[in-house]
Amino acid sequence: MNWTCEQTELYLTDYLDGMLQPEQQQAFALHVKGCARCTPLVSSVTHAIAGLRALPELELPPRFVYNVLDATLGPRETITGWAAVRAWIRGIASPRFAYGSLSLAATFLMLVTISGFNWKKPKIADLSPVNIYRGTNRQAHLAYARSTKYVSDLRVVYEIQSKLRQDTGLPTNNEGVAPDSNQQKDPGRTDGTNPATPRQQNRANDTNSHLQMLAQELPVLSGRFCFVLIEGRPR
Amino acid sequence: MRRHSRRIFNICYRFTGNRTEAEDLSQEVFLRVYRTVGSYRSAYGGFATWMTSVTRNLLIDHYRRTKRDRITDSLDDSMPVVENKASSARRPDEQALLGELSSQVQFALTKLSPELREAVVLRDLQQLDYSEIQTVLSVPEGTVKSRINRGRIELARILQQMGVRAS
Repeated sequence: MNWTCEQTELYLTDYLDGMLQPEQQQAFALHVKGCARCTPLVSSVTHAIAGLRALPELELPPRFVYNVLDATLGPRETITGWAAVRAWIRGIASPRFAYGSLSLAATFLMLVTISGFNWKKPKIADLSPVNIYRGTNRQAHLAYARSTKYVSDLRVVYEIQSKLRQDTGLPTNNEGVAPDSNQQKDPGRTDGTNPATPRQQNRANDTNSHLQMLAQELPVLSGRFCFVLIEGRPR
Repeated sequence: MRRHSRRIFNICYRFTGNRTEAEDLSQEVFLRVYRTVGSYRSAYGGFATWMTSVTRNLLIDHYRRTKRDRITDSLDDSMPVVENKASSARRPDEQALLGELSSQVQFALTKLSPELREAVVLRDLQQLDYSEIQTVLSVPEGTVKSRINRGRIELARILQQMGVRAS
């Protein structure tokens, strides 16, 4: 197909929008490739279109919508005095606002309580940022120390329980349902020999007395848990 | 309303090249739509197309009204000129360059005749298809194609005169 420069200019938009027939598209491209006049034309128009499409979408002026509403529906009534106060209260009485306020108040109460504020003897000084920081810091350290102690106590209990169960030949897990395939082996021994039965009984007796002593010393052991631990041990 | 108003404001701004005029014209569009919404028929096209048509009519009215008042600067004395390639390569902030290019394209757009400008704005900025543009401009599809084609070529020529070269 023979293609001319006039046709290029005429069908440029069709070519760029992909609306030419395949053979026309091919003839157009072939002509542009070898034409010193049409190559810069297509290039510059393509560049112009790219520039147009890269133009940013502008944001609306701030009060545009309100201005349109004022112009179409009329200006809104402006209220003053008590009517304005009543309208404000009506506005904050909405469920969404009430929920937000309650959440905020609960968060505030929680933070103040965590900071060590004494609700029985409230003092204004307790609400100063320095005191709140100190109180929160102190409470955080206390909580950390308590949790560390609790975990440590629990570890001791589990170690003792595990030791007792090893001595009596019971499974080490609490449920005792999972059978241990190697119950005869002492976990600490690597020579494969089993301890003699009287020695095992003596060690169990010793451990029991140690456990009773520990129960008196450790607060976490003095409760029901320890009672179950000791009473539950088979004699 | 916010979706339509942003689109209408952008059409007005791209057509006039002036923010204040675009804001006033956009408000006027909504006033006219509010008054004449009863005359809208779905057979005319989508509501957005109808609003675009109202906008276009207002823009043409505005163009004709302000034609005498408008100061027609010559292309050479007022057009912003793009820096040459060597100096632009030194500029570290590409965003600034892009903003400059945008202002060049906007300036070139306002130099087009209103018939070509509206066709190019609707096609290349609002991405309307030919049938929608045909409805908005109330001209045959062949005329729409021809205007878009001539508008693009003219825009490229103005940009070239301004020193904006295709990379």
